[in-house]
Amino acid sequence: MKTLGLNRVISLSLLLLLSFSCASDLDYDQVNDIKLEPVFIANLAYFDIPANEFVTGGVEQNVIFDAPTVDVFNDSFFRKSLKKVDFFLEMENTIARAYVVDLVFLDRNNQVVHTTNFTVPEYTGLENKVTRTEIFENTQLDLLKRTVRIAFTLRMLPGAPLTETSSGNLKLRSGVTAYLVVE
Amino acid sequence: MRKMIMILVLLLAIDCYSQNKQILYNFTSVPQSLMTNPGADFKYDWYAGVPLLSGISANVGSSGFSAYDLFADNGVDFNIKLRNAVFSTTRKDKVAINEQIEIFNGGFKIAGEESDSYISFGMYQEFDMLSYVPKDIAILALDGNRDYLGKVFNLGDLSAKAEMLSVFHLGFHKNITEKLILGVRGKIYSSIYNANSTNNSGYIYTIPSETGVYEQMIYSQLQLNTSGIAPYDDEDYEPNVTKDITKRALLGGNLGLGFDAGFTYYPKKNIQLTASVIDVGFIKHSKEVESLTFKGTYKYEGVVPNFSSGNSAGGGYQEFKDAIPLDTLYADYTTWRPAKFNTSVQYSFDEERPEDCNCLNYDPETTYKSAVGAQLFVMSTPRTPLVAFTTYYRRKIFKALQMKATYTLDSYSYKNIGLGLSSHFGPVNFYVLADNLLEYSDVTKANSLSFQLGLNVIFKNSKK
Repeated sequence: MKTLGLNRVISLSLLLLLSFSCASDLDYDQVNDIKLEPVFIANLAYFDIPANEFVTGGVEQNVIFDAPTVDVFNDSFFRKSLKKVDFFLEMENTIARAYVVDLVFLDRNNQVVHTTNFTVPEYTGLENKVTRTEIFENTQLDLLKRTVRIAFTLRMLPGAPLTETSSGNLKLRSGVTAYLVVE
Repeated sequence: MRKMIMILVLLLAIDCYSQNKQILYNFTSVPQSLMTNPGADFKYDWYAGVPLLSGISANVGSSGFSAYDLFADNGVDFNIKLRNAVFSTTRKDKVAINEQIEIFNGGFKIAGEESDSYISFGMYQEFDMLSYVPKDIAILALDGNRDYLGKVFNLGDLSAKAEMLSVFHLGFHKNITEKLILGVRGKIYSSIYNANSTNNSGYIYTIPSETGVYEQMIYSQLQLNTSGIAPYDDEDYEPNVTKDITKRALLGGNLGLGFDAGFTYYPKKNIQLTASVIDVGFIKHSKEVESLTFKGTYKYEGVVPNFSSGNSAGGGYQEFKDAIPLDTLYADYTTWRPAKFNTSVQYSFDEERPEDCNCLNYDPETTYKSAVGAQLFVMSTPRTPLVAFTTYYRRKIFKALQMKATYTLDSYSYKNIGLGLSSHFGPVNFYVLADNLLEYSDVTKANSLSFQLGLNVIFKNSKK
């Protein structure tokens, strides 16, 4: 009989433990509501051309050009999550000549999806910077996502001739702020 | 009913880290206490656990946040709860689950001339999971890097491991002298699957620069080792999980060796010292191994035209994939089991004089009804060892019912109260141990819970 009593003690204490215990309602389906909205910053493009690169063998090169590839939009996850892009561009000229700089964004069929151009005056000893901010959303952004190359064209405007020893640089710094939404 | 299922799920699924069996340790009225100290002072003629029911234990812990913090059905946006949970944790916070089920367990006595020796043996299945909160990576995913210019994100925050294994063991303990009991246990581990990524390092930073707008650098030394998982990656493979697990559990998995050792010492009749080391061992993973690495250094400068050569850099994404490639390796690797160290000191009082004492044949061994003591538990982890300190009170309530109450301080909680009951009805021993009792008012808010119960049959010759 005594063992029966003990049995009861244990059963009761177990029952007590479990009945005093309680659990708030949890809803694991909330995981489906997850929405991440990170904002990343990164370099966009950069160059720094010394004045003497505009002179080859004593002859001025009035136009220089390059069109490097851009493959960030190859990644479908990135393409899908990207909801907004800000460009920050800064041209700084310390060469005693004025320039026109064109950035042309091209898609795989060499169609232009976006252009940016700067006219930078000649350097006169004072700070000589031109900055610009561009914002891409919706259709403009969709267009930008087709970019596979950026064509950089630097045109030197007429002025006092440059030599191999001319001083100064033409410099582009640019950054991008990418707003992602991951759901 | 829902509540019960919830509790069970929590207990069995979240049974987090600790693996600290502070109630079971040195609770020698339960045979399973031998598993926490092979040198425990447990005497028997023979015992056998009821197969599958002799030892069920689960342990769940999360030092940084609780299930309630994330999943409460309280109308608060999940993303806000997620942010709060992430930002309230540190890289030291961890989520851990440990679950053990004894498949079979038993023991018998070998009578000796001077003193008896005891053999114990068995097999159990174990699941272990430990993950630190990868805080910096979570911040990057939640916020990106814009608001963290100058911060160095630590990729070493990523540290996690999971393993399912079966363990075959054979133990031996013996009274070396009246006062000293020594015990050892050998173990063969058969790993069913293993995944671990614990030796990671690396960083990501973005700082302002004069050259570009930013200086951005990724240095990555990430590696994930797996064994027993690779075949399921193969689309042509038709998995028969039950068959695979059974085969690997029965020594068909990746094998390892280990040992436990321990002692119990009585400097005085009513003072007892014990200590043990458990799971000092390793598993060599050579079957079905697959490791993924993500190692390299990459400095991102953006699109950089090269006007003079026309041979320009600019394939940033391809460059990145070349600089930090995702490689798959098939090399053997070795993992160490989480080693555990226990020690205790106990003072017994309230001497018991059995009323039915046969005083002619009086057992000189004094028994005490009550005892108080303190225990220390240390477990190795991929980072700082885990430490828990427990004080306890143990009492024989009736002849057939023993109770142990514990108060434990550890990194999960400073108010962990536990209670264990062990009953003997004839040869049948039933025990149930649970800790963090205060958290049972709402288990979803608990940072850690552990639970052990089991059923054994013990035959003891009362005469010495």
